[in-house]
Order: sequence, then structure tokens, then C-alpha cells
Amino acid sequence: MKEQLIDLAKKSGADFCEIRIEDSTQTSINFQGPELENVQESHMYGGNVRVAVNGTWGFVTFNHPDDLPRRISEAVRNARAASARSTVRSVLAPVEPVQAEVRLELKSDPRAVSLDEKIRLFGGYNQRMLDTPGITSTNVRYFDKLSSIQYANSEGTWISRECADMGMGASALAKKNGTTARGSAAQGGRDDFELFRGMDAEMDKAAKAAIEAADAPVVEGGTYTVVCDPNLAGVFVHEAFGHLSEGDNVAEDPRMQEVLKLGRRFGEDYLNIYDTGLDVGLRGYLPYDDEGVPTEKTWLIRDGVLVGRLHSRETAGRMNEKPTGNARALSYKFPPIPRMRNTCIANGPHGKFEDLIKDIKLGIYAIDSAGGQTNGELFTFTAGQAFMIRDGKVAERIRDVTLGGNVFDTLRNITGVAGDYNVHDSSGGCGKAGQMPLPVSHGSPHIKIKDVVIGGR
Amino acid sequence: MGRDFDSGAPGASNTGKATSSEADTGVYEKPATAKFTERLGSLADAYEMYKSEGTSLSVSFENDRLNEIRQGESYGISIRAVKQGKIGFSYSSKPDEIDHVAQSALRMAPWGKPYDYEFAAKADSGHTRPYDPACGEISVERSVELCENVKDIIKSIDPEATADVSIRGGLNATRIATSRGQDCREDESGFGYFVSARISEEGNFLTVYRGRGSARVIADEEILEQARETGEEFKIARKLLPFSRGKYRVLFAPHAVADLLLPIAVGVNGMNIARKTSRFVDSLGEELFDKRISLEDDPFHPDAPSGALYDGEGVPAQKRPIIENGVLKGFVHTLSTAQKCGHAPTGNGQRSVSSQPSPGLHSVIMAAGDTELDQMYRDAEGGLCVSQLLGTFTSNFLAGQVSGNVSLGFLVRDGRRAGRVKNCALNVNSFDVLKSQVVSVSKQREWVGGEYLPWLLIDGIGISAR
Repeated sequence: MKEQLIDLAKKSGADFCEIRIEDSTQTSINFQGPELENVQESHMYGGNVRVAVNGTWGFVTFNHPDDLPRRISEAVRNARAASARSTVRSVLAPVEPVQAEVRLELKSDPRAVSLDEKIRLFGGYNQRMLDTPGITSTNVRYFDKLSSIQYANSEGTWISRECADMGMGASALAKKNGTTARGSAAQGGRDDFELFRGMDAEMDKAAKAAIEAADAPVVEGGTYTVVCDPNLAGVFVHEAFGHLSEGDNVAEDPRMQEVLKLGRRFGEDYLNIYDTGLDVGLRGYLPYDDEGVPTEKTWLIRDGVLVGRLHSRETAGRMNEKPTGNARALSYKFPPIPRMRNTCIANGPHGKFEDLIKDIKLGIYAIDSAGGQTNGELFTFTAGQAFMIRDGKVAERIRDVTLGGNVFDTLRNITGVAGDYNVHDSSGGCGKAGQMPLPVSHGSPHIKIKDVVIGGR
Repeated sequence: MGRDFDSGAPGASNTGKATSSEADTGVYEKPATAKFTERLGSLADAYEMYKSEGTSLSVSFENDRLNEIRQGESYGISIRAVKQGKIGFSYSSKPDEIDHVAQSALRMAPWGKPYDYEFAAKADSGHTRPYDPACGEISVERSVELCENVKDIIKSIDPEATADVSIRGGLNATRIATSRGQDCREDESGFGYFVSARISEEGNFLTVYRGRGSARVIADEEILEQARETGEEFKIARKLLPFSRGKYRVLFAPHAVADLLLPIAVGVNGMNIARKTSRFVDSLGEELFDKRISLEDDPFHPDAPSGALYDGEGVPAQKRPIIENGVLKGFVHTLSTAQKCGHAPTGNGQRSVSSQPSPGLHSVIMAAGDTELDQMYRDAEGGLCVSQLLGTFTSNFLAGQVSGNVSLGFLVRDGRRAGRVKNCALNVNSFDVLKSQVVSVSKQREWVGGEYLPWLLIDGIGISAR
């Protein structure tokens, strides 16, 4: 297989050719209310060919493995047909060809746990929430996915990589006076099924959060000082700065290169942001990206100043910068594009959570995330739970707290970074260009941001 | 696949495509299918087989230049098999794995959901939907030329704009067969375009876009006209105007109206009715909204990009009122949720081949109002026009909440959009604003994905701003 794939890639006739063949199996379990709504076993098999001709990509996906030579011809034909109008050349940053086999190294293998046992475990969590007085409905989802990916390109790189991905999300719904509110818990990782055991306390917290939120007032809209817990701060750095750092936003846009000029100050000296593929066990762990480039820890902001960005080989090549191992594809159905891995705010000098809130007269403590979105400059995300902060203390619970803002202003407005870094994976993922959910991680200590716009009544 | 699946006369468009029972050609070759279903029927107490195959081609321009030609092949088969009263489900995208999928589904059955309803019985749709084989014959060269022309139009309006354009087309064939005699096949064609003008400069990141899908190839003239409109809106939006928080009269453009309707879509979803998490559980027949609000689910609309003759369970789809003159008229169900609620199935089982069905609307058609759009702009004087919202999907839809950043909004002055407002957010309760704050509904409507929606002028919208 190895020699055959490299040989086919080398003989494509394109400026560059890569081939990916993927074989994955996934087990999924979903409880909804009292019912086991879905138990499913899936087999995903397919591949793609990506070629570059005169700066234009030809990308072809397939499910029949015997069709590979024909698919390469189709990709080259398409790219050639279009490239007559192309005004740029194919540019890929140079990397040393790699030949590697990456085998699964699991602390606890999900395949060693019977389906029966998984259903008992996650069904138990579901029932625990359902049994909580005041809870009207629940949802518990679990998946484990084992993949084998063969990658080869025309430069002689060949990587055979096995990987695992696991995730679980639980939510409880409570309804009071016509208002429905949600509490949630999550877990995820790449190498340890044991993470999913012993989560009763998390289920209890989710149920309690839902019940209390159903009775809580909607936040009064306005501008507040907000303290984010590590999970929400992680989502914030992912949405607000991670996406902006992806090289495809910058590589061919001179104005963006000006806005995101290396050396520009984005925050105070205590603001440090990085993205890393090196954290074994996290969902953002990635030994090689989907162009066969070894991953790394990439600093984006050091001491408040922009020092790097997240590149594919193409975006790095166009900017004459170094590839960072951030080219990722959701599956064989998509081409690799610059994406995040584990995106983090590093520990800061402002002590603990209590130290961050002690001087806040009126503010909001926002915990966990119900998701978020950015368009590069503006961002929106919703807190999973929230409380008012009054006179330096956490006060009453509020609900439906959506944080919005301008990325640049908000980074400048981070006025506190605690020293209690934490990272906790969930079952969700990142979406970009139709590729969702890509497994990523995000971590942070508690942070304090002034002048955050909160949509409310 | 398209041309391999007897999808109509080459070059013909808008051929009404009826369904067929026991078709000889299609996703399954009949002899193999018959042999397999016989075997599966002997092992399972009941079954449903879903197979899907398709091809697609897209041409995309990014950063003013040709970036990628993408050609896709998709294949998948899934089986729901019942054994001792429980349903097992399995899926594969690997061709020739039908036996493996069946065995896996049977193996999963002991843990599956109770089979307390029945898979679809033999029934013909009796309807047609447009089918255009030309969607499967998109020319790379012509599409590249069209993208070039779109880019040139945008740049001619504002040379500083960066244009992104894509054209895509494809064909897909699905077939659903059940042990109760349903054997329906549907050939679908799809075409779509996306046009965007953007700029990322200090203090002003701006993206304005248009796009539409259709079951038929869309004429170049429409795409070029949309490029012009995109460029014109972009030009207006480059002017930033000061703005402060407060309560405003807001003209919601169709994209933003789609966000306002999300709580209704979640509320009528049969899953939330069965789980009693919807506010609408006991509200059928009640006047919940302004009388000018009427929503219909129309899977057969000739201009809709989505829709179906059959749903994802092989149940004939139906054209049905959801909200009629403000009154809640119907929920959307799968076979399972209909049975749980004691309602009749509605043909709304939505799924991909790799997943089990869940309730969902096909194409939401909102009734037009009686006010000209120009008049609505005049009536919005001093207020806002909101074209796009950001991040609304994170809202608590069950509670009616729609919350997000105003990613593209305009201040309305002298009866027109005077310039862009930024750094503001809204948080509304759709159930409240669509009941008692609607000022007017436009005569004009636009497609937003699979929804055909008017503009809505709404009073008293609280806008937070920095």
C-alpha cells in the first residue's frame, strides 16, 4: 500500500498530489428522556485525492478504493481545465518528507467495554438526572470512534495513523411557568474510557443548574464586567482569537496582514495565548496534521504581542512563514484547511477566582458554554450558567446570558488572568467551511473582561 | 450517479418525477435487492433499508481568484432491523457491505429502541418535484467564467471588496424499502450559488453575501443580479454610523426572520412534543401569534431547494399548515413521535443516510403580507434594519429566546439604509414579539435556505450596544 500510494501520487502530473484513505468505525448511544433513542454502529470508508495545478486545487472524493487512478486523473483534469485562467502559482511551504506509523496507545480502550456495559453506564447517568425532582427531560449522548488513516503525497511523505476519539454530553431540562432551562455536563478525550466513569456528581450539578435556571430572571441587557470560568474562557479564546489566527484569513489579504501584523500589541503583558497539538489524551491532540506535517506548540500572543498564526502548507507558503501543523480535515470528504487543535490562554498573575471578583461592584460570572460563533471581528457565545456578581461576591443566578463583542476591543479589555488553568474536553467540536464537528480542545484560567455587551431584556 | 440511474431524458429539465414501487433501475438492482431483502426478511421481524448515492461538483473562488474544483462522490446504506420487538441500526459508506450492515443492525437490536410503531407501509406520494439532470452536468469552464463575471461586478462597484464565489451542482438518488411493502425511490437534483463581498480592515470587518439553492440550474442572470445587489449593499455597509443602546423599531430582513422562527420550529418538533418540553404541547388550535403570521410546510414547492416526495422513513410527505393566521395548526412528526403523541404521521422524518430519523420541517413558506417593502423602510425611520445575526444557534429556543450579535445591521434614515451599525446585540423572545409587536409584513419574499420568507417590521426591540 505504502509504495503504491506514493508512486501514484508522484506520477499524477500535477504540481503536487496527495492521497488520503480513511477507515473508521463509530459506536453511538443516545438516551432521550426515559428512552434509549439510538444505539448505532457505523462504518465510514472513503478517500480523496487533492492536486495542485497552477495555484488551483482539484479535489475528488470517492468510496470505491479500486477507482483511485481514475480519481487522480479526474482531479488533475479538473484543476487543469480551470488553471488556464489562474494568475498565481501553487505555493506550498517546504517540509521534510515524513514516513511514519502512528499506532493507538490507549490508557483504556473503549472497544474493551461491552456495548451492554456502556448502555448501563450512560443509561445510569440519564436515569439519575431524570429521577431528580423538577427535571422534565434529559438527553445523554456518547460516541467512540476509531480511525485508521493512510496518507501519501508526491514528495514522498507516507503516514499510517490510527486514532481514537470519544465524547459524551448530558443535558437536563427543567420547566417552570412556561420557561424551559437547561443544565449540562460533558466529557471527552482520545485515549481513556475511564474518564467517563464516576460522573454522578456532574449529573447532579447539571440537574440542579437546570432547575435553578428555570426559576431565574433573564439578565438585564447592558455592558458588564464579566468573569469567565476556564471552560467559557477557553471557548472565548477559540472563538475570539483562534479563528482570527487561522492563516487562510490572512495569507492573501494585504489588509488583514496589516491588521494582524506580527509584533502588534493585542493585550496587556499578562495575556499569553497558544495553540498546541502536543497534549496527549486531549481531543485536540494531533501528532501529524492532515498534510503530514508534525504538529507543535504554536505561540500566538506572548506578553500581549502577536507572535504567530496557524498555518497549512499553502498559507505558510504564501506568507513565507513556517508551517505549524494546523491543516486539518474533518474526514476524507473534505480538504485540509487551517484549524485549531488545543487553544489556550496561559496562566496569569492574578491569583485565584476570588481575587478576580473581589473588586467587582456589579458584574456577571459566566460558566461553561452553550456554543459560540465569530465572523473574525465580532463574536457571540452563550454561557451554560451565569450568576450576578454584586459587591465582590457571587450573587443570584440569572439565565439566557449571551456575550457579544468585538474581538480586538475584548482582548484589550482582559483586565485579569488568574493562575488556575484548566482544560476539560466535551463531545462537541469546531465548525468551519462546512466541516463540523472537528475535535478540538480549549483551556484557560479564570479571566476578567471589562465592558462586555450582554444581550438581555 | 445521476446519469447511471435513469434520471430522465438528457437535457430535459423540470421533469415531474414520480416515485415508483418495484422500480427496475435505481439505487438497487432489482434482482440483488430482491434476494437481499428476502434474506433480511427471514432474519428480522421487520426492517427498513435506506440507500443513497450521489455526485457533486463545485467551483469556488476565494480571495478574488479561482481556488478549488471539488468533485464528490457519496455513497451510504443503512438498515433498521427489528428483532424481538427492538430496533437495531447500522450504517456504512463502504460499497458492497450490505450484508455486514444487516448483520450489525441485527446484532444491535437487543439494545435498541422498542419497535412500538410500524415502518412505512406501501404508499405512493402522488406528487412530483422538479428534477433537472443538468445539475449533474455542470461545466467547470463555464462555472469558472461565471465566477469571474461575478467577481468583476463586485469589484466594479467597490474595487476594495474581496470577492468569494461558488457554484455547485449535483444529483442524488435515494431508495427506501421496508418489510411492509414500501419501496420508494427518489432522484434529486440540486444547484446552488454563493456570492460574497468582504473587507477586513482596521475597525471594520464586513461580509455581505447572497446565495440560493434550487432543484434546477439557476440562470446566470439571477446570479449576476445578486452579485450587483451584494455589491450595492456592501457599499452602503462600509459607512459606519454611531449608535446607542435602546429600544428600536427593527426591520428584520428574511435572513434574520429565519432566526426569529427557530423557536417555532423547535416548538412544533414532535420530539419536543413527545417529551413535553415544548411550550406548544397543549396549544393546538390556540391563537399564539399575530394574525398575519402564517407558516406552511411545503415539501413540493417548485422553487424550494429542499423538499421531498417521501420523508426519511418512506412516508409520503405532506403540504401542511403549521401556523395559520396566528393559530397553531400542526406539529411535525416521525413515525415514532407520532405514535408517542397519538397523532397521525406527518411525513417529517428527516435524516441523512447515516442517522436515524428525527422530526423536521421540509420547506417553510411564510405568507406574504400586504405592505410594500419601500413603505416598511419609511415606517422604520430612525430604527434599524437587521440583515444578519451571529451566533443565534446557541439561544434557548425552547424558551423562545433568540439572542445574537447584529453582524450586519443598518440605521434607517430617509426611508433607506443609511449606513452600518456595529458592536450591538439583541436578545428577544420570539413568542412574545411575534404575538404582539409585529407592525407589518412585506409583500416581497426571499428564499433563505429552504425557507421562503418576507421582511418583518417589529416594534420595541431592545438593542444592547457598547
